[in-house]
Amino acid sequence: MQLKAIYKAPWFVKSIFVVCFFIIFFVAGVTYKSINDLSESSDLVEHKYEVVIELEQMFSYLKDVETGQRGFIITQDSIYLKPYFSGRENINNSFAELKELTRHNPEQQIFLKELNVLIDDRLANFEESQRFILKRYNDIESPSFSPIFREGKQLMDDIREKIKSMIALENKRLEARQRDHKDNLKVTPMFLYLVLLLSLLLMVGAYYKIMFDLEKLKKTNLKLEIFKESANQSEIVSKHGNWIWNIEEDIYSYSDNLYRLLGEEPQSFKATTDNLMKFVHPDDVEKLRGQIEKMMEEKNLPFIYYRIIQKNGNIKHFKAYGKTLVNNDGGRRLLGTTTDITDEIESFKALEERNLELERNNKELSAFNHVASHDLQEPLRKIQTFLSRLEDKEEENLSESGLVYMSRIKNAATRMRSLIDDLLQFSRTNKADKVFEVTNINLLLEAAKQDLAEVISEEKALITEETFPVINVIPFQIQQLFVNLIGNSLKYRAKHRIPEINIGYEQVLAENEPTIANAKQEAYHKITFKDNGIGFDNEYAERIFILFSRLHNKDEYSGTGIGLSICKKIVENHEGHIHACGAPNIGATFTVYLPVV
Amino acid sequence: MNDDYIHIVLADDDEDDRLLFTEAFDELKITTKVNTYNDGVYLMDYLNGEDAIMPNVLFLDLNMPRKSGMECLKEIKANDKFKDMAIAIYSTSASEEDIENTFVQGANIYIKKPDNFKKLKKALSEVVTLNWQYHTNGLNKDNFLLRL
Amino acid sequence: MKLFIKFDFNAVCRQVLREKLDEIDVKYNILGFGEVDILENLSSEKYDELASALGNYNIEIVENQKSILVQKIKDAIIDMVFNEETNVNVKTSVYLADTLGHSYGYLSNLFSEVTYTSIENFIILQKIEYTKQLVIKGNLSLTEIAFKLNYSSVAHLSTQFKNTTGITPSAFKRIISKRREINL
Repeated sequence: MQLKAIYKAPWFVKSIFVVCFFIIFFVAGVTYKSINDLSESSDLVEHKYEVVIELEQMFSYLKDVETGQRGFIITQDSIYLKPYFSGRENINNSFAELKELTRHNPEQQIFLKELNVLIDDRLANFEESQRFILKRYNDIESPSFSPIFREGKQLMDDIREKIKSMIALENKRLEARQRDHKDNLKVTPMFLYLVLLLSLLLMVGAYYKIMFDLEKLKKTNLKLEIFKESANQSEIVSKHGNWIWNIEEDIYSYSDNLYRLLGEEPQSFKATTDNLMKFVHPDDVEKLRGQIEKMMEEKNLPFIYYRIIQKNGNIKHFKAYGKTLVNNDGGRRLLGTTTDITDEIESFKALEERNLELERNNKELSAFNHVASHDLQEPLRKIQTFLSRLEDKEEENLSESGLVYMSRIKNAATRMRSLIDDLLQFSRTNKADKVFEVTNINLLLEAAKQDLAEVISEEKALITEETFPVINVIPFQIQQLFVNLIGNSLKYRAKHRIPEINIGYEQVLAENEPTIANAKQEAYHKITFKDNGIGFDNEYAERIFILFSRLHNKDEYSGTGIGLSICKKIVENHEGHIHACGAPNIGATFTVYLPVV
Repeated sequence: MNDDYIHIVLADDDEDDRLLFTEAFDELKITTKVNTYNDGVYLMDYLNGEDAIMPNVLFLDLNMPRKSGMECLKEIKANDKFKDMAIAIYSTSASEEDIENTFVQGANIYIKKPDNFKKLKKALSEVVTLNWQYHTNGLNKDNFLLRL
Repeated sequence: MKLFIKFDFNAVCRQVLREKLDEIDVKYNILGFGEVDILENLSSEKYDELASALGNYNIEIVENQKSILVQKIKDAIIDMVFNEETNVNVKTSVYLADTLGHSYGYLSNLFSEVTYTSIENFIILQKIEYTKQLVIKGNLSLTEIAFKLNYSSVAHLSTQFKNTTGITPSAFKRIISKRREINL
């Protein structure tokens, strides 16, 4: 795993190249050195031969001197003395040459000094023997000449020996040097070979790595290409464009679709603030500039809204959002998205218009309600009042049938009154201003009973109730609900029974109540109104809540078919539920569920 | 309060209502003097007149041409001269909004015009009696609110 | 600007009475609610002077014995309702009969005859007025007020309030506070 990680590391290839570079550098160094060594050793050989030659040269001069002397001795011809005289000078020259050649070799220098002494001795010996030769022609027969001559030979041998040992020393040195070189030359190629092999291996590794990376790069590029294409597609479909603003260098780049949104060909002009401003609606330029400046100061900005005008004159609504990103090296860039929200704005406008229309309709409706409450009630009220005047003052003057007609008129007027009242109530429960208050429900029930006090005492109705908690409700509506439900029970009482109404309360969980099993809330206040009235068949349980629906002939029961619709409306206003169930001639139960908040 | 009569004023544009109103007071046992005006402008002209006798109770219909009952109410409440006068709204409307609004603006009584003459008589009698009680028993008139 | 003032009606009346009686320079004793004992003979001029001086304050001199008694009944009731010390758990009829030394039947008839209303209604009216004062003050909840005024329950008080005034106590409170908002 670790190896793989190293292999994958971006510095891997780089370091291989660095290593290879050093290897080659090293190899070059080593090669240079061994070539250098080689030329050095050939110099050494040359030097040795020079020394050897010079030594032998010198010796040969010495021999020339000896030979010349001997020739003279034998022949007495002075011609043989010529080498003897020139030999001395040549020896000196040779010696100087040798001295120069062995300058760097202290051992040879010592030898050379010794040789010098020997040569000097030999030359002195020559001089001495020459005296004998030159003084008297046959003086060589003298007894003192022979030892000198012998000494000369002895010296000659010593010199030869010395030269020999000097050559041996040179040879030895050369040999040692050459042995060293041989070792070196044996190891160096091997070493170089191995090093080069290693660098080759590294290069191969690097090559594979590069190939692998290249392949990966290709794949990634392909993916990127696909991604870019899909980003382009999505920009086109969702009508948005991206832009990047390099703040430091003030360079912009716009995505293709941003150009399209502006109604231009992609990348058809240089992306700059000023060029963008050419498109911006004159009324929005100031605002947008301010916001762009603000965007630089603050990192994130809420959405910017502005309009642009396309070349063809179309006005588009744009929504832009930018976010500043700071690089590792501190460079700030603003990444932004601009969306064409023209469609949204237009549909929003349409919606608004529809809302306005709805509002107008509602207003008309409530104006109608006002008309109903005022203008319809007024004549009816007068009809009723004058009827009551007629009844009070003129009753005795009316005939039997006149009295019947009058009571019929009275009934009709009363019915109309209750219709108008109920309709008004219904529209009032529809009204928008629903103010919820945490209310003592017991008080509302008490007030409802108070409203119905007349009927209750008339019918001697028995109303029992449990204690209620405070609930968050629209108080007057809940009171109305109670009035309507109790009123309903009283209206549809059984003829020969004293009406009894039991109002129960408990808090329940929706899941335990089959009728509201799918309710939104978890817990509900359950209020039940159970009566012993005429009841109804359960198949009508749903229908009785529908506006104007009645189960009975209006001659039997005076209902308008609105009361229970109002109840349903009120309960719905509270996001609650109402249910009815009944049994003919036994009674009905209305159950109200109000959410526990 | 040992005046000879209780002075009642009604401003209502409806002739029938004015008729019924006066008839109702005629039939009550209380000695009253009832003046009626056809709209708010006539009423205010009368009240602002120099020799006007301040009514004990003023009845105002809300819906009147030229000057509505609400406008009259605000005008009257703005004038200290009328501070002893009890004001009763006498209207067809039974909207809670109207009722509370008029009370807030300073009305003392709100009567929804009844649909029965007996009820009318009863309501008017109650108003006069209660107003008289407030007067004679030194009760705080600011707290005088009655809805019928 | 509007100031909201609380005053003791009786104390004010006493003060006015004292001032006016001092003005006509007679010896007197203020006995209690609505009764003044003049300790010397009052000339008719002085009587007229006093009557007109008090008339300016809407205080009238009641000569009729019946009116005096009715006034006493009212005072006793007001005292009973507003004064916590006298607010005893005795039946009102018994309390009135004991305080005024007449049978309740007599008092009741007399009261109705003079005021066109019954003692019971008058008591309710006074209780509701007191309730209004307390509601406006806002220190006490309706439950506490009901307890203070010897109602059996809040509902009972609430109902009586509604029956007497046509509006609920909370609506009453709302209206008064809205009125103040407008006038301030």
